[in-house]
Amino acid sequence: MAQPGDLLFSKEHEWVKIDGDTATIGITDYAQNSLGDIVYVELPRIGTQVEQYGSVGVVESVKAVSDLFTPIGGEIVEINGELENDPALVNREPFQGGWMFKVKLTNGAQTSGLLSPDEYEKLVAE
Amino acid sequence: MTMQAPAAKRTALYDEHVRLGARLIPFGGFDMPVQYSSILKEHEAVRHRAGLFDLSHMGQFILEGENVAEWADKLTVNAVSTMKPGQARYNIFTNERGGAHDDVIFYRLPEVWLLVVNASNAEKMWAHLNANLAGSGVKLTSLHGRNALVAIQGPKSVEMLRKHTGVDIAALKYYFCVEGSVYGKRAVIARTGYTGEDGFELFVDGADAQEIWNNLLRDNEQGGLIPAGLGARDVLRLEAGMPLYGHELTEEITPIQAGLDWAVKLGKPEFTGKAALEAQKSADEYARIVGIVMDGRAPAREGYHVFLGDRRVGEIRSGSIAPSVQNKNIATALVDKDAAAPGTPVVVHIRGTAYGATVVQLPFYKRSQ
Repeated sequence: MAQPGDLLFSKEHEWVKIDGDTATIGITDYAQNSLGDIVYVELPRIGTQVEQYGSVGVVESVKAVSDLFTPIGGEIVEINGELENDPALVNREPFQGGWMFKVKLTNGAQTSGLLSPDEYEKLVAE
Repeated sequence: MTMQAPAAKRTALYDEHVRLGARLIPFGGFDMPVQYSSILKEHEAVRHRAGLFDLSHMGQFILEGENVAEWADKLTVNAVSTMKPGQARYNIFTNERGGAHDDVIFYRLPEVWLLVVNASNAEKMWAHLNANLAGSGVKLTSLHGRNALVAIQGPKSVEMLRKHTGVDIAALKYYFCVEGSVYGKRAVIARTGYTGEDGFELFVDGADAQEIWNNLLRDNEQGGLIPAGLGARDVLRLEAGMPLYGHELTEEITPIQAGLDWAVKLGKPEFTGKAALEAQKSADEYARIVGIVMDGRAPAREGYHVFLGDRRVGEIRSGSIAPSVQNKNIATALVDKDAAAPGTPVVVHIRGTAYGATVVQLPFYKRSQ
């Protein structure tokens, strides 16, 4: 499946959408499909400073607990509260309603090491 | 010569699992389907209609001879000698400390006994049984990996299976078994299962398994029968309060600790571990398996620590979200006696944070009929 064109991707299967000085982050369709039914998402606290590729939470499926990393550094300014009551939203809409948190880019957008849609598509096709 | 890890074996239904898009994981020495579509969808099908499981990884042993029951009575906690032909019974092979080598089911057929052991314990149990055969006159044969085991589980199981069997399965009582046929193929049909629902386990020749599996799925597609994997099975059995070896029962955790007193017949003259179990039960100071319901959304997982106030009183042994328990997070825990009363408020530590939970009576789920 083609990856949405306006996103960047991490090798840990997160996506990031940069809009001005704010980045929205979620996990990819490939990631949600690999995990299976998602039953719990633990997100960082608003106001936390996070570093690129740092661990910021967990995503739990019926069988497994997986770390959630942030593909971009900055300050957590918003989290998706919908996921508390409906974590399966990540399965249904990984790139839309299933977004996880927003980061304010304090030092500009540091996107080094992130993959383009084509590069990510190649990664998951392997 | 180079040493290689043994490749996972395949059940007779391996090709079907691949064709159905299953996610396969090595389990008990076999590549087994953990899920086909979704664990939660498969769970829902079993609770409301029916699911079809491949359990061919489980160890199937045949016991023959006049003294099987007397012999088995000395190695296990439950009564074997009182079983009638056509009866099935849950049992546990114990060590001298009362811990569990394995939990099993004995099926008494007209001529022989079928013993079904856990896949993860099949080799250990094969060795244990053989080590105890000398002088018993009991003959032991392994059908492991040769015979298949297909289970249909769910409230519609009778309706889905009855047209295709040579015997009246509706009349077969819970925990009874009969030699019959399914789609004209020889089968031992048992009304047993590990899901908390009505259902049947079909012991068939590996060569017949594909045909039976595919026919059942084809003929019951309209009725909602879907293949279900080991992931759904684990959620179903946990809700139903059934122990899983390695979690609620181990070489260290005894059947008394696991709350399986009903299966421990201390009135039997002798069996391995009897003295230890008697002493444990009468002293009544042992840590025990309890049910836990989490207050919030965070799932409790195996190994998480359980606290009563500031004191650590035990640990989680199994945990899952429970669609049949209002979608709460449920778990089993091995806890000290003073934390084991239903209603006790406890705390489960998850990644350094304390989450409230309550001790409850097992099982979490009981079907209505």
